[in-house]
Amino acid sequence: MDTSLSTTQTPPPTPRRRLLPSLSPQNLNVIGLIAGIVILWIVLSATAPHFGTTRNAFSILQSAADVGIIAWAGTLVIVAGEIDISVGPAVAFWSVMLSEMAGPWHFGLPIAIVVTLVGGALVGAFAGWLRAHFGVPSFVVTLGLWLALRGQAEFMTNALPVPLRDNGFMDFIGGTLPGGFPVSAAVMFVLFGVYLFISRRTSFGRSVFAVGGNAKAAILSGIKVARIRVLVFVGTGVLSAVVGIITAGRLTGGNATAASGLEFDVIAAVVVGGTSLAGGRGSMLGTLLGVFFIAIIGNGLILLGINPFFQNVVSGVVIVGAVLINLVLSRRGSKESV
Amino acid sequence: MASPTTARNPWPVADVRAASKNYHNVRALIRTDFTVQPGEVRALLGKNGAGKSTMIRLLSGAEVPDAGEVRIDGSLLGSGGIEGARRLGVRTVYQELSLVGSMSIAENMFMGRWPTTRLGIDYKLMELETSKALARLGLTLDPNKAVGELGIADQQLVEIARALRDELKLLILDEPTSSLAAGEVDRVLDVVAQLSAEGVAVIYVSHRLNEIRRVASSASIMRDGEIVDTRSLDDLTTADVVQMMLGDAASESPPVDCAPSPDNPILLSVSGLRVEPKIKNIELELRGGEVVGIAGVLGSGRTEILTALAGVVKPNAGTITIDGQNIAGRGISVALGKGIGITPENRKEDGIFPFLGIDENIVMSDWQAVSSAGVLSMRGIDRAAESQIGRMSIKTDSSHAEIATLSGGNQQKAIIGRWLHADSRVLLLDEPTRGVDVEAKAQIYALVRELAAAGRSIVFVSSEIEELPAVCDRVYILRGGEFVQEVRAPDISSDSLLAAAMAEH
Repeated sequence: MDTSLSTTQTPPPTPRRRLLPSLSPQNLNVIGLIAGIVILWIVLSATAPHFGTTRNAFSILQSAADVGIIAWAGTLVIVAGEIDISVGPAVAFWSVMLSEMAGPWHFGLPIAIVVTLVGGALVGAFAGWLRAHFGVPSFVVTLGLWLALRGQAEFMTNALPVPLRDNGFMDFIGGTLPGGFPVSAAVMFVLFGVYLFISRRTSFGRSVFAVGGNAKAAILSGIKVARIRVLVFVGTGVLSAVVGIITAGRLTGGNATAASGLEFDVIAAVVVGGTSLAGGRGSMLGTLLGVFFIAIIGNGLILLGINPFFQNVVSGVVIVGAVLINLVLSRRGSKESV
Repeated sequence: MASPTTARNPWPVADVRAASKNYHNVRALIRTDFTVQPGEVRALLGKNGAGKSTMIRLLSGAEVPDAGEVRIDGSLLGSGGIEGARRLGVRTVYQELSLVGSMSIAENMFMGRWPTTRLGIDYKLMELETSKALARLGLTLDPNKAVGELGIADQQLVEIARALRDELKLLILDEPTSSLAAGEVDRVLDVVAQLSAEGVAVIYVSHRLNEIRRVASSASIMRDGEIVDTRSLDDLTTADVVQMMLGDAASESPPVDCAPSPDNPILLSVSGLRVEPKIKNIELELRGGEVVGIAGVLGSGRTEILTALAGVVKPNAGTITIDGQNIAGRGISVALGKGIGITPENRKEDGIFPFLGIDENIVMSDWQAVSSAGVLSMRGIDRAAESQIGRMSIKTDSSHAEIATLSGGNQQKAIIGRWLHADSRVLLLDEPTRGVDVEAKAQIYALVRELAAAGRSIVFVSSEIEELPAVCDRVYILRGGEFVQEVRAPDISSDSLLAAAMAEH
C-alpha cells in the first residue's frame, strides 16, 4: 500500500464547485420570494388604497404573527418529515381554556397562563408520542386532535365567546407597543430568532434535519429519533398555546371558533418558503418570507376590495403557483449541477 | 472459448452471439457467446463486475448489446425491451421481487392486465387461473391471500408462477435463494427441477455450489466480461470454479503481515449468537488493533451479524460482551455508547444524510463533542470535520458542501470518519468498498490498517472476497449460519476463502 493517507494531496479546488452553493435551490427560492414580495409591494402600493401606510404595515404584521409564530415550529415538524394540522383548533382551545381558568375557575391569570403553556406542550408531546412509539401517521394523530380540540372547546362554551375580565397584561399581549407596533409581531420576531438559533445552532435542530432527511441513517448514527419526533410536536403544541394566549388578549376572551383554517395558512407558508413536505430540507428564513408573502397577498386582496369568497380562490392559485415555480427552478438547478 | 457439453439442439432457447456491451468506457461484456438449450438448467457464476448482470440484462431485453446479437428461440431480440423479451417467453426473477405486498396473489398474478367483464374486474377468472398456475408448481396457496402475508420463498414462487402464465421458455433466476432460510431453499429448487423437466430453460445465478449441484447440469463461469468456460458440473470441482472466477487476481493482493500482538486484550466477544432465520450460532472474539473479516456468499447472514452487534436487531439468543458487560439486545444507544460504530452496506439509503453538509454528516455521531449545553460551536464543527477530512483525505474544497456532491469512495470515508469523530473503538464496516473506484478502495484498505495500528478493532465484511487478504488479520468463514473455519494472516488467500464460503455442506 503506497497510498499513505496523510500525504495524499488534495487537488486544487475547482472554481465550478464554488459557484454551486450560491445557486442552490434553497437560495434560488429565497431570492425568488424576496423578488415576489418586492413586486407585490410595488404593485399593491400603486393599486390598493392605503396599502403603503404605516398603519397598514402594522396590520400586515399582526395578521402575519398568528401564522408566523406557529410556522416556526411547523417548519421543524415538516423538516422532520411530519405534519401537524391541529394547530388552528389548538389555538381556539387554549384561548378558551385560558379564559375559563382565569375567569370562572378562579385560577388567577399567572397560573392560567402557565397551565396553558404546559398543557400545549403536553398535547404536542402526546401527539409526538403516538407518532414516535406506535407509528401512527402524524396526519392521522393531528387530524384526531383537530377534531377533538375544536369539539371540546365548542362543547365547553356552546361556541359562545368566554369573556376575560379587564387585565393589563392581556390587553398588552393583544395590543400594540407605543407607536402602534403589534406586540404579537414582536413576539413573532423574538421567537423567529429563537427558532433560527434552534434550527441552525443546536444539536436538536440539526438532528431534526437528519431525521427528516434519512431516518434510518439517523438511527444508525445514534440519534434518538423517537425523542426528536416527540420534541418537534412539543414545539407546535407550545406555540399554539402562545398564539391562543395572544388571541385571547386580542379578543379579550376565549373563542372556540377562532383561528379557523390557521393550520393551512401555516402549512402554506412553510411550503411556499421552500421546505420540502418529504422532509430533510427547509429553512426558517424561507418560512419567514413565506409568512409575509401570504400575509401581504391576504391584506392586498382585502384592500383591493375583492369579494371575500373569491380571495380564497386567488390565495389558492398563488400558493400552488409559488410552489410550482420553486420546484421547476430547483429541478433546473439540480440538472445544471449534475 | 465456450464449449457446452450438453447435446446440441439445432434451436437453442437462448443464443447470445459475439455480444459486447460497454458502460461509460467500462467493458462489461466482450464478444461473448452463450447458449442455453431447452430444459437445461445452467448455473452462471462470477464475482461482482464479472458481467453476469450484463448478460442477464441482455437476455431479459433490458439492454441491447453494442455489438453482436441475442436470439430467443431463434427470434432476434431487438429493441423490444423487456416486454418484447417477455413475448418471446423470457422471464427474470430478481432478488428484489416485483410484487405488491398488500394485494392478493391473484391480483399480483395479473398485475396491470386484470381481466374484466362488463361488471368490472373478473375476480372469478383470476382466481381460477391463479389456482391453475399455482397447482402446476405444486403449490397450495389461497389465491385471495395477500402476498405480504407469505414467506419470502412463497413470494418467489408466486413470482415464478406468474411467469408461467405466459408461455415460458427461458427463466432467469438472479440469486433466488440469497434471501431464504435454509428450509425454504428446497421448495425453490424443486420448482426449478420441475420446470426443467417440462422443457423450460433456466439460468440460475448463484454462488452456493451445493444448490447448484442439485439443480444445474452445467455451469458457465464469467470473469472480466467474458465467459471463461462452460462445463458439466460432473467434472467441475470447487477449486476449478474458484480458480476460474478469480483468475490471476487471486495472487494480486499481498496478505497482511503485521498481525497484532496476541497479548492485546479481547475487546469484544460474542458467544452463541442466534439471529433468526439466517444466523444459528456465532462465536467471535475481537482483540484491540485487530481487523477481522467475515467471508460468506450473498445472503449468508453477514449483515445480520453486524446489525446484531450494533444493537439494531435483537438477537434470539447469545451474548455480546464488551467491557465485561453483555449488550446483546439492549439497543443501539447502548452499543454506540460502548464504542461500537457501524457503516451500513447501503451507503446511499442508510448511510448518508444527502441534504446535509460533509461536516454535519461527520459530527452527527457525537454532537456533544462539538457543543456545550446543546448549543453547537460552529468553530468546533469546522475543526472536527476538517480534522477527519484531512485524516481521510476526503477530496472536497469545502467541508460545508453537501455530501451528495462527493464520489462514492469519499462518501464512504466520511461515514467512517463519523465513527472516528465519535471515537469508536470497534468499527463494523459492511461492504465499505461497494461502488467505490479502485483508487479509493486502496485508500480504504490503507485507512483500515492505519486505524488498526492505532489500536481500533475492525470487523470487515465484503462480498469481494479477494479484498479480505489485503486488510484482515483474521477471517471467519460464514456458511450455514455458523463460522465454519477461521484463517489467520499470512495464510489468508482469496481462493481458499472463496472455496470455503461456496463449498457444499
